Amino acid sequence: MEPIHTFDPVTCDTPWDRIYRRLGYRKGITNLSSFEKRVIDDAIDSALMRIHLKGTARRLSISSRSSSEITLTSGTILQSEALSRYVNECGEIVLMGATAGSEIIAAIGEETTRNNLSRAVVFDAAASEIVDSALDWIGNFFGGLIRRENKLILRKHFSAGYGDFALKNQHVVFDLLRLDRLGIFINEKAILVPEKTVTAIAGIKELKNKEDLTYSH
Amino acid sequence: MAQKINIGSLLKKRIVILDGASGTELQKRGMPAGECPEKWCMDNPEALLAIHREYQSAGADILYSATFGANRIKLSQYGITNVREINTKLVKIARKAVGTHAIIAGDIGPTGRFVEPFGDLAFEDAVDIFKEQIEGLLKGGADILVIETMIDIQEARAALIAARELSNCFVMVTMTYEHNGRTLNGTDPVSALITLQSLGAHAVGCNCSTGPAEMKRLIEAMKPYSKVPLAAKPNAGMPELKGTETVFNMTAIEFADFGREFAEIGVGLMGGCCGTTPEHIRELSRALSGKKSALPGIKAISALSSARRTVFLENGNPLKIVGEQINPTGKKDLQEELRLGKTTLIDIMAKNQQKSGADLLDVNVGAPGVDQKLMMREAVKRLSVAADAPLVLDSSDPEAIEAGLRIYPGRALINSISGEKKKIEELLPLAARYGAMFILLPLTEEGVPEKAEERCSIIRLVYRKAFGKGFRKPDIVVDGLVMAVSADPASCSETLKTVEWAHLTFGCASIIGLSNISFGMPERIWLNAAFLAMAVYRGLTLAIANPELKEIMNIKAAGDLLSERDKDGSSYLAHFAEGTARHNDVKEKLHLTPEERIFSTIVEGSRDEIETALTAALDAKLDPSYLIKGCMIEAITEVGRRYEKREYFLPQLIAAAETMRKGVFYLEPLIKKAKQNLPPKTTIIIATVAGDIHDIGKNIVSLMLKNQGFEILDLGKDVAAERIIEEIKRTKAPIAGLSALMTTTMIEMEKVISLARSEDVACDFMLGGAAVTRTYALSIGGFYAKDGVEAVQLANRLISKKRDAFSDQ
Repeated sequence: MEPIHTFDPVTCDTPWDRIYRRLGYRKGITNLSSFEKRVIDDAIDSALMRIHLKGTARRLSISSRSSSEITLTSGTILQSEALSRYVNECGEIVLMGATAGSEIIAAIGEETTRNNLSRAVVFDAAASEIVDSALDWIGNFFGGLIRRENKLILRKHFSAGYGDFALKNQHVVFDLLRLDRLGIFINEKAILVPEKTVTAIAGIKELKNKEDLTYSH
Repeated sequence: MAQKINIGSLLKKRIVILDGASGTELQKRGMPAGECPEKWCMDNPEALLAIHREYQSAGADILYSATFGANRIKLSQYGITNVREINTKLVKIARKAVGTHAIIAGDIGPTGRFVEPFGDLAFEDAVDIFKEQIEGLLKGGADILVIETMIDIQEARAALIAARELSNCFVMVTMTYEHNGRTLNGTDPVSALITLQSLGAHAVGCNCSTGPAEMKRLIEAMKPYSKVPLAAKPNAGMPELKGTETVFNMTAIEFADFGREFAEIGVGLMGGCCGTTPEHIRELSRALSGKKSALPGIKAISALSSARRTVFLENGNPLKIVGEQINPTGKKDLQEELRLGKTTLIDIMAKNQQKSGADLLDVNVGAPGVDQKLMMREAVKRLSVAADAPLVLDSSDPEAIEAGLRIYPGRALINSISGEKKKIEELLPLAARYGAMFILLPLTEEGVPEKAEERCSIIRLVYRKAFGKGFRKPDIVVDGLVMAVSADPASCSETLKTVEWAHLTFGCASIIGLSNISFGMPERIWLNAAFLAMAVYRGLTLAIANPELKEIMNIKAAGDLLSERDKDGSSYLAHFAEGTARHNDVKEKLHLTPEERIFSTIVEGSRDEIETALTAALDAKLDPSYLIKGCMIEAITEVGRRYEKREYFLPQLIAAAETMRKGVFYLEPLIKKAKQNLPPKTTIIIATVAGDIHDIGKNIVSLMLKNQGFEILDLGKDVAAERIIEEIKRTKAPIAGLSALMTTTMIEMEKVISLARSEDVACDFMLGGAAVTRTYALSIGGFYAKDGVEAVQLANRLISKKRDAFSDQ
């Protein structure tokens, strides 16, 4: 079994476009002056100074799968028809977790208290999108590693809280990833603290070994 | 036995052909999925022999040993521990396959772990891991070493340092880039090139990840700055997913056509990666037959790099500012932090300086009681992650300098090496080993020469010694040696003469420690600014200064324009753009009526201007109540309309709401003072339900409602149902807004509403939050609002419904 990988820091690019989209910006529709853009960009820059992006991930094999659950080789059972469908062609999964850290959460609170809510929402959006990008980045990291094994990581991720994969499964993911080692804790409602901490599952599927199939180093 | 091929001689004659993919070829010969490739090759040497022979007969000059994953970390995943033995044997198989008809490259791939400061694998552990593998490769008889498919510049450095510390053989390093033109870890090809070639790589390039079309752009980007041959090993096009299969569709002929284009842009070595076969290499070899490799056009380059950025110091470029703040002299809090081994302040200082425009960051950790060697290493690690700007390592302790240079994932500038014998002996070899640039301080054991001519003599002397270690003028930055004008008024002119001499006569970059000039004088900023302008005119390249001082950055912008370093004036205009735009904006608003000015100030969300606009309106004898009802409500309604049409997005909506709120605060006391009747405010209770810690959406709704004249009692987040009901009863609030982000906490809303109903509390509940839907809200007896604007509309509707019901009674 592969060890838990820790990524401290995660060095993904800042997803500027995604942050703007999350805030409701629509290209060609939203009117934004250069001054307003500068103010928002400045707020994003300030958020970046307070985000300490860390991640963790673990590769696990699926030992069995039924229509309503999957069982990992660690003995963990994850109950969800949607998840079972998602990993339909996968022999393994990667569990991933990422956090923006607690400083940005404190900064959002401070800006709100100072009646700078417009900055607080930009901080909030930046942190949300950056942790999502961190998961993509971790996924790409594993994509590179497994290419040589003629395997592919699914681009779409699956998270606790999606469809019938109950949010309480966050507790299982938390334990498997030892998220406590990143300074994260989980409350009884399965909410990860600090806020802006996310987890996801990505399926790994083996590619067919044909003559023309050459996705390998 | 025929004589071995020499890669240096071969590169001088023609483009060198590398082999193609091996993984696919092994699978074709029966290697099952999930198998350790190195072990399978050991167990099936005939298959490997055949692959090497096919590539050699296809025209490959260099064959990679099948040792890509033969490092301690990778092999241990298969329970294999005899790392050296495996590497030795696999090189020997390659040699057995082709004898001396091809060059055998000991192939070194990534460990799969990130190296500090980007990951949890200790740098020296990484060096040891690669040394173990390289010892095996060299024992097996590898002619050269290839470090490939690296996504982490620090891991590439660790492998390169390991190779250089074990052997003088030719080492090539190729990195893998994503579609955005950077490695997964964010390194661009030029920064990788600057870092790796200065550290001693004999060839640098890219492999894997992209097809030849995309890789061509990477090689083109590197070419102007390369002093070593460039290598390309692209995939056979971009992988395409067909159903469940990933396929590379580029034919051997198409691949070879790209080879000709690579030859034109000056590649020195070319082969194939994923998806390529011996056929691809055969066609490539034919296409490049007789093509001469373009030898590097430069011998040295005046450039510094971090893991994510390169800063060029060539003449004619805008002045570069070296941020001086990370220096404990006179900073008690930083001294204390360093003594405790902490780097939090360093992180903040780096980010602030970079934000203010620093191009490079000076790092000095020297203070009483600080272990400089340890703290330089820690500071460099922290800064490598926190900042993009390349570092200037500032210490008089050679051990601290070496600690910084070894861990730094870029090309650093040493501050400094003087003409003192001890300094030269200790620091020049270090600079050479790690490929650093250095600041040449023109002083000796005898002190600081007064005259520029004497300083220039010292510079020539040190340079002669540096030349012998491989340094050239572009690798050096001359320090003009700034002395306090309070001590010697003539010193200013001697410094400027030295700067000018470095620029015009000697031909290298120059630097000054700006603030030294004003030491002991009042109003220092003006002396610093004036001196900077004078030095820029004399050709200064770098100034060590505080970029957070506006005056310095303004002088830099102006100086660059006047000295033709900012030829089209774009940097100058950008630097002052904000001020100009605001000035024009304010001028335009002066022509508006007071009402129009208030309206536009709110619509534009200009929070800082609302009080001025309101004061002007009050001076024009406009009534405060009228300003709220007649102008401000109208303005915020217009903002809501624009938001609904997506012409505005969330930050604009909130900025406008904040501006309005500030305006209302300003006017309310005046209305009260005038004893005007304010309409009674309706109270709305607002809270994020128990167990939930998310409150940004709730805060937005709260602000929007306040602006519409509601009295908001915000109970905060994670609020128990009992408390919410208690507050509704106490305040008799007709409406409560509940927020929840998660599916696990949204059920608390039902609990609150049930509790209200069971206690006969006649209150309407507005529900919202990411997990909440209109259907869910209605199903539990609440009302749904998707955002702040809809919450305002809903609240107004609910209130007028209650009023109608009351008047019907």
